[in-house]
Amino acid sequence: MIETLGVSALADKVQRGEIKAVEIAELTIARVARHDPSLHAFLATSPDALLAQARAVDDRRAAGKTLGALAGVPVALKDALCTRGMTTTSGSRILEGYVPPYDATVVTRLRAADALLPGKTNMDEFAMGSSTEHSAYGPSLNPWDVERSPGGSSGGSAVAVAARMTAAALGSDTGGSIRQPAAFTGTVGMKPTYGRVSRYGLIAFASSLDQVGPFANDVRGAARVLEVIAGRDPRDATSLDAPVDRYESACDASPRGLRVGVPEEYFGEGLDPEVEQSVRGAIRALEGEGCSVRKVSLPHTRHAIATYYVIAAAEASSNLARFDGVRYGLRVEHGKDLKRMYGDTRDAGFGREVKRRVLLGTFVLSAGYYDAYYLKAEKVRALLRRDFERAFADVDAIVCPTAPSVAFKLGEKMSDPLAMYRSDVFTLPASLAGLPAMSVPSAPGKAGLPIGTQILTPWLKETALFTLGAALERHFKSAAPPEPRWGPRPGRAGDVPST
Amino acid sequence: MPTRPRLDRAQIDHVAKLAALSLTDQEADALTGDLGSILAYVDELDQVDTSGALPTASMQQGPSAWREDEILPGVPHDEALAQAPRTADGAFAVPAFVDPHGSAK
Repeated sequence: MIETLGVSALADKVQRGEIKAVEIAELTIARVARHDPSLHAFLATSPDALLAQARAVDDRRAAGKTLGALAGVPVALKDALCTRGMTTTSGSRILEGYVPPYDATVVTRLRAADALLPGKTNMDEFAMGSSTEHSAYGPSLNPWDVERSPGGSSGGSAVAVAARMTAAALGSDTGGSIRQPAAFTGTVGMKPTYGRVSRYGLIAFASSLDQVGPFANDVRGAARVLEVIAGRDPRDATSLDAPVDRYESACDASPRGLRVGVPEEYFGEGLDPEVEQSVRGAIRALEGEGCSVRKVSLPHTRHAIATYYVIAAAEASSNLARFDGVRYGLRVEHGKDLKRMYGDTRDAGFGREVKRRVLLGTFVLSAGYYDAYYLKAEKVRALLRRDFERAFADVDAIVCPTAPSVAFKLGEKMSDPLAMYRSDVFTLPASLAGLPAMSVPSAPGKAGLPIGTQILTPWLKETALFTLGAALERHFKSAAPPEPRWGPRPGRAGDVPST
Repeated sequence: MPTRPRLDRAQIDHVAKLAALSLTDQEADALTGDLGSILAYVDELDQVDTSGALPTASMQQGPSAWREDEILPGVPHDEALAQAPRTADGAFAVPAFVDPHGSAK
């Protein structure tokens, strides 16, 4: 069964000629056609382009050429990534139908590695959200329970991988937007160190936090995708000139001797007991693998939500100024007033959550409030980083929950923005500190819903993430959700009432 | 700490203007409430002792790497214009914002 193979196994088989890329492309098209109507992972697909890419890979092999590391591997792309010739909306009405004239650097690198690109995945508008319910195009559904959210903002990418429509996907993570949906869907999702992966061509939300990273159906697959997309890009001044390590080899290394820290602040009030049980089980498993486990303290953790929402909103208000109806996307033009055109375009094109954050960000940067809100948050951010610096003086990794609960129900948090923000409490600190982090499935909850354990390592130490993640995976091998739960059924995902 | 008055509708209208957002009355009222509760939550940052903490805007590890300043092909003119809602004479067309006497409207 091709759809159950991991990224690396798939690419290796294509390289050896055991499977043709065209077979994989055809299977992918069939699976998307069969399952996406009930899950709504994708905002756009391009079967013809997919088959053409696959034929090109097969032709290159037939001509005796060496194939790339992702030969024939379907990788779904979050719709925040610009794709030449393919619509890119970032989940917003203001970019409906927008076709970028260039590829994001990560897309260029996937193409160069002979990956197949079946389509663009659903997301909260401009990545602002934790459930995909803020997508202008309707939510994605969690294949484990279609009444529930797959998480967000990269929920469509998580669903594509969880439902085995693609072996891997790219998402972007600003405050947990890869890790939380990975936890909710039983997939592996990782956010690299800030600067590890180029942001060129990623539609910006909060530039000091945004980072592109992989989803995959196994840890090794995420490692292989990261090896392809990581590394210095002259087009992104914040991309780091640091050597890209051998992440896939790190999956085979023993975790023996690694010092694992358990932060008490992540196990307090608000954490569902079944999540705690699962994560504590993961920690015991690592101990059984020869890791030493000790307590660490990250005292500023509880201030991460407020800090994040000030900083991310401030940066977003500035980044989203570019959507003015002049050069691309929606324009609402009544009469002859330019300022009114800006205002009307943005009012019609942005959804409620985006307006909330643009206003919040503009407010905290405005005269009289800058010091009290923005500057204050930037100081707390320094303290959050210091917490981690101190903790990592004693440990090689920190292990904690990815999200405080299993996937929540669609609609459950839509009336209360703060309740939605609180679901990010455990992923925000690593984002604010720019640390690499990964969510790996640990033992599922009572109802069989997936639970993710989060691993954090020091800056640029992704190799330890992969070593520990692979060790956990050996204990808690995640299955795909049973297909009857989300197989074809009447009605489209778009018909599910959104708010 | 500076005092932080509750956010009112007049402030939302001001901020919306700064953000170039034309809001309907109903939206502005609803957003006043939303932002008020978010800011009330954010006020908990007042409890944090940040004396001695430097404002930190970036978590970038190490210095930025320099690149050669070289001329590379850009997006072709017609492709850059292809997505524009309105063009004129090979340029982006917008409502006039400079009057014939040269001052900005």
